[in-house]
Amino acid sequence: MTLLSLKDVTKAYGGVPALKGVDLSIAPGEIHALMGENGAGKSTLIKILAGVVHPDTADIRIDEHRVEIGSPRQAHRLGLRFIHQEFNVVPALSVAENIFMGRTYPMRGGLFVDWRRLNLAARDTLSRLGICHIDPSRSQGSLSLGDQMLVRISSAFIGEDGAPARLYVLDEPTAALNRSESERLFSVLRELRGSGASVLYVSHRLDEVMAICDMATVVRDGRSIDTGRIADITHDDLVTLMIGRKVEEAYPPALVAPGADTVLSAKDLAVRGGGRMSFAVRAGEVLGIAGIANAGQRNLLRTLFGDLPSHGGSITLAGERYRPRSPADAWRAGVGYIPRERRSEGLITSRPIFENITLPHLAAQSSWKIWLTPWREKRVSAQQGELVRLKASGPGQRVRELSGGNQQKVVFAKALLGKPRLLLLDEPTRGVDVGAKFDIYSLIRDMAARGMGVVLVSSDLPELIGMADRIAVMRDGAVTDIVAARGLDEERLLNLCYGRATG
Amino acid sequence: MLTLLRRYGTLVGFAAILIFFWVSLPDTFMTARNWLNISQQMSMLIVVASGMTIVMVMGDFDLSVGSMASLAGIVAAILFTFDYPIWAAVSVALLVGLAGGAVNGLLISFVGILPFVATLATLTMLSGVAFVVSGGKTISGRAIPESFGNFAREGIALGDWGGVAVSLPNLTIVAIVVVALVWVLLEQTTFGRRLYAIGGNIEAAHLSGVAVRRLKLIAFSLTGGTAALAGIMYASRVASSNPTQGSGLMLNAIAAVFLGSTLSEHGEPRLLYTIVGVLVLGVLDNGLTQLSVDSYVRQILVGGIILLAVSTSSYARRLN
Repeated sequence: MTLLSLKDVTKAYGGVPALKGVDLSIAPGEIHALMGENGAGKSTLIKILAGVVHPDTADIRIDEHRVEIGSPRQAHRLGLRFIHQEFNVVPALSVAENIFMGRTYPMRGGLFVDWRRLNLAARDTLSRLGICHIDPSRSQGSLSLGDQMLVRISSAFIGEDGAPARLYVLDEPTAALNRSESERLFSVLRELRGSGASVLYVSHRLDEVMAICDMATVVRDGRSIDTGRIADITHDDLVTLMIGRKVEEAYPPALVAPGADTVLSAKDLAVRGGGRMSFAVRAGEVLGIAGIANAGQRNLLRTLFGDLPSHGGSITLAGERYRPRSPADAWRAGVGYIPRERRSEGLITSRPIFENITLPHLAAQSSWKIWLTPWREKRVSAQQGELVRLKASGPGQRVRELSGGNQQKVVFAKALLGKPRLLLLDEPTRGVDVGAKFDIYSLIRDMAARGMGVVLVSSDLPELIGMADRIAVMRDGAVTDIVAARGLDEERLLNLCYGRATG
Repeated sequence: MLTLLRRYGTLVGFAAILIFFWVSLPDTFMTARNWLNISQQMSMLIVVASGMTIVMVMGDFDLSVGSMASLAGIVAAILFTFDYPIWAAVSVALLVGLAGGAVNGLLISFVGILPFVATLATLTMLSGVAFVVSGGKTISGRAIPESFGNFAREGIALGDWGGVAVSLPNLTIVAIVVVALVWVLLEQTTFGRRLYAIGGNIEAAHLSGVAVRRLKLIAFSLTGGTAALAGIMYASRVASSNPTQGSGLMLNAIAAVFLGSTLSEHGEPRLLYTIVGVLVLGVLDNGLTQLSVDSYVRQILVGGIILLAVSTSSYARRLN
């Protein structure tokens, strides 16, 4: 018995094949992982299921009956529900209103909305999925991203227009979630599975897939390569299937040991919403910053980068007092920054690569700080591109035409121009596929080997343990522990993040 | 094909308009004299539209340019009535423009008001100030120095052209100089590069060390300055000044930038395309006037053509 089966799905865009033959079959009550590198064809496949893109050839069956999915409305009628990263929710309305959006609200006297009953019904829906911590009368916009996603799922769960939900498709749902939010999402997905619905789960994060999925289908170069039970497959097998070659190590080894010189030292530093903390980063050292969501990591980085004022204490950079009052000050002092949101904070995607790379360094990359010298900028940008192994047609190419991994490399090329002394990284591998991730890790190693100090904020604990020399744990806005990364296990780090006593 | 339509649709339309007028007005339209005349008629709009491009590159706009032009004209004329020399009166009027633009910039970047609201408010205020200081009257006649009025009428002789003596009007020369300066500023300097960065992604620009607030302040000041210059040019051209003189400039300037941006690859404003936009508007105005089309009908046609150009461009972009 299969809920959904796809056979021989092909699709070409203007003669360029995106899907060359994908088979996929999902049983009822199953969480099925769809895996593959960026550009492997996952998003095209999902768009076909959603009725947004029409396949060239396809045999799509639901309950063994052949169907055509001509429009999003039809996909909905067939019981397919799509939960994207950009949820269709209205932040200003309450949780209950968002859950019942598009349906009739309970009324009083046929004229007024019965808010009490609406909230009760919403609470009931949430609790059926095991979500008890969200107050339905709160406004949607005041929730964390993770909770907003849970509301979106709840809304899909109760079904609309009499079409019950059969299959939930989640595309990279945890990309913006922290660990505890992800855990909640997983327990809701298990509830959904218990209710007989299926989930198609698209993610880069292997450990998640290993933890919650029953089956996995791997696509590569537009073909489905293999389908199998998660229980029968190892982490390494999955990676090998996805990228088509064996990967020896997830994290490249450190090239040098951290030096003796201190690059950055913070003394009794206080950042917005937190207590005082002291720490130091040595030349060639990668200092990881761990913590649950909103434990102050972002405010710390933004303070070090001059985007937030410090609330006390002092910072020295390479032995000199460092008091940046703007990002411009930070760049001038030799601090490079990789922001968390690549597209909204890191790049001007409508402009060419070289303009992005030289933007913080225009004073040095121009004549008399005023006159543009594009030829020089292009030459410098091409060199930076080589350094970060950027794949692009040339420095004049627009950033928006690049893949996610290559866009992130542009952000790195920008931060590394002018040989900064300190590199601040905020979730540098988020939403980047396995191959590009390794490139970025190697680059961080390279930079450390050249004597840069690196501060790495990440919610990916294995990444922190694999890349950092020491890890500073933040809780309630301040660093509470600093531990060596070598020999640290994930559970102990997690306990430190939550402030639980460790055995 | 679509890309071609998107990028060159406006140019093709412009060519069609030119050919239409050429055929309809075989004796008068395609003549050096008429074109120099168009260039003079358009010179104020060119100056204002150049200034408007500076802020529109950042994704902002300035609704107050028309009132600013009127006020600058009034300020200069009033100083003339007190027998100030021309250079002094013109300098003060220009400074008023820079200062008014700086106020816009302060409101937008440091107080944080939306450009639409901030410049709508200053539009009203500047217009009020122009009425108050002029007493609501047109300042003309002997108060205006003769050489100030003559400046707009004179030009550099270009010799005979088909038996007619033609000259390059001074106002056209001023417009060309302004275009050259703004072009260098936007396309050749780090200042311009940073403005484009702000327009592309203000947050990323800020995190890349672009001093967003300071640049906005400077950009709005420059826009105010160009508006004031246009007002002075206008006053010179009609040798008089009244508090509503510049009111038509704002909409036409924004329309010219939008029209021009349909030509650019990524839909962003670029100065030279803005000038093409001004030319389209100017040629339409000139041709339709010569064909004695009623001025209200002219408004309908001009509005329709702007809509057509912008919608063709955005439709083609969507299909892409």
